[in-house]
Amino acid sequence: MYNLGQYIHGDAITHHLDPRVKIVSVIMLSVLIFRADLLSGAIISAFIIFAILVSRLTLNHVLNALKPLAVFVFLLFFLHVFFTDGTALFTFSFFPVTVTYEGLYQGAFVTWQIACLILTAAVLTMTTPPSELISGIETLLRPLRRIGVPSHDVAVMISMALRFMPTLLEEFDRIRMAQMARGADIKIGSFSEKAKWAKALAIPLMISAFRRADELSDAMEARGYQRGYRTTLRELRITPRDVAAMALMLLFMGSVFISTGIFE
Amino acid sequence: MIHVENITYRYDQNDPVLRSLNMSIGEGEYIALIGPNGCGKTTLIKHFNALFVPAEGDVLVDGMNTKDAAAVREIRCSVGMVFQNPDNQIIGMSVEEDVAFGPGNLGIPSREIQERVEASLATVGMTDYAKRPPHTLSGGEKRLVSIAGVLAMNPRYIALDEPTASLDPSSRMRVLDIMRKMNRDGISIIHITHDMNEIVHADRVMVMDRGVISLNEVPQEVFKRIDYLKTLGLHIPQVTELLLQLRQMGWDVSTNVLTIEEACSEISSSAGGFPKVISTGRVKKRVGENV
Repeated sequence: MYNLGQYIHGDAITHHLDPRVKIVSVIMLSVLIFRADLLSGAIISAFIIFAILVSRLTLNHVLNALKPLAVFVFLLFFLHVFFTDGTALFTFSFFPVTVTYEGLYQGAFVTWQIACLILTAAVLTMTTPPSELISGIETLLRPLRRIGVPSHDVAVMISMALRFMPTLLEEFDRIRMAQMARGADIKIGSFSEKAKWAKALAIPLMISAFRRADELSDAMEARGYQRGYRTTLRELRITPRDVAAMALMLLFMGSVFISTGIFE
Repeated sequence: MIHVENITYRYDQNDPVLRSLNMSIGEGEYIALIGPNGCGKTTLIKHFNALFVPAEGDVLVDGMNTKDAAAVREIRCSVGMVFQNPDNQIIGMSVEEDVAFGPGNLGIPSREIQERVEASLATVGMTDYAKRPPHTLSGGEKRLVSIAGVLAMNPRYIALDEPTASLDPSSRMRVLDIMRKMNRDGISIIHITHDMNEIVHADRVMVMDRGVISLNEVPQEVFKRIDYLKTLGLHIPQVTELLLQLRQMGWDVSTNVLTIEEACSEISSSAGGFPKVISTGRVKKRVGENV
């Protein structure tokens, strides 16, 4: 069954933390990852592994999170390996590129960075239900309302996009079946034929999405929706546990910052 | 009271969909709105909560005019609306969040929203589904959620646009039961339907024909206009039709009958005993023809 977001139901400490604490931590950690060196990189790796273990995520979960971007990461790795100038390690007689020590280091470092970013984000999305995540983003955006960021509307928009993802997937399936029932052989044929079928699927899907949007806006208005302030089912509340977690995070990140020498 | 006074409405430059239409809905009434496709039923109910404002005429909800922009929010709180396609009116990522959408728009504090969500889900019997994402629900369950979402706004009137369309018989019964329950709790119901068996419990039946209300009577009276209803493509309930035909054949039966139980006692009292009626070959044949 299609799952909204990546949330994995659980009862670990990270599941119970306020989403804002988690979001802010992820952002700060991402900054650290970008300016890490060898030592701080090791500390950060250890911390991410610690976070994964505390959240009771399995190896399977971790691999599932990494899989979608694996090809991209490999590509990036080899680009760095082959196209970085420096001390040559190997040369190929038949291929005009050299593998350099710097390239290997660069490639490995970029791979590590991306893996860390994905895993940090995965810990957040796997331990936070989408609705809480959206509440978290909404409350964090609230101060920006003064400069015209409509935080409540952003939250409604994200949640509706997530809500309608499976509905549109179902719709897509229905349209595909309908076209196949009328003789469309969608899976075979040359590239240009496939492109033609793509059109036969995309246009009905788009038309139905617009019709949906029309009815949806009526339904929202009928239930009193207006731009701006609204309340939600559950208000986020900061508990002592959240304060403690945030303090720990700040302490950890502060020490990593100092060790990377950002203040020098 | 919802008062509709002489309203005319047209889409773009086309012929008017509603033509100088008048009607009113009292507190706690159960009104069935029937009529062929395209006669303007949906357009009419969209006037009740200011989704549409009439080109001419006025719609007054408890004295508030739908043209008054300042009153629109309060009108939308008093008049809830359940649309035809439940898929396109469920907004939340889970059942409970969807039910909370309306109260949330009104800025009600979280604690009270939780109470309202619980109460509404209990009314429609969906308490166990609170955490489910909407796309995992069946058509009937989605319909119940959309009703709960409207109930959570504490409306005084609820208009439902073909709430039983494309539902299996047991979900249909569930939805109808809930509508009657809401009506007993004092909410006025406006029920659009094509199924004449669903309107026998209505206080009044309004028949819509090309943009006007052509009949506005109690169900029994409406069913007497069988020939007119047939020109609109509407069919009266089988029991009523049976008794009307028996009467035409000279039987002394009342045609003010809506349910099978009433029909049984009516026929048996007229024929002096139910078994005898069944054994009469001629009646049997007529019944067979009607069914």
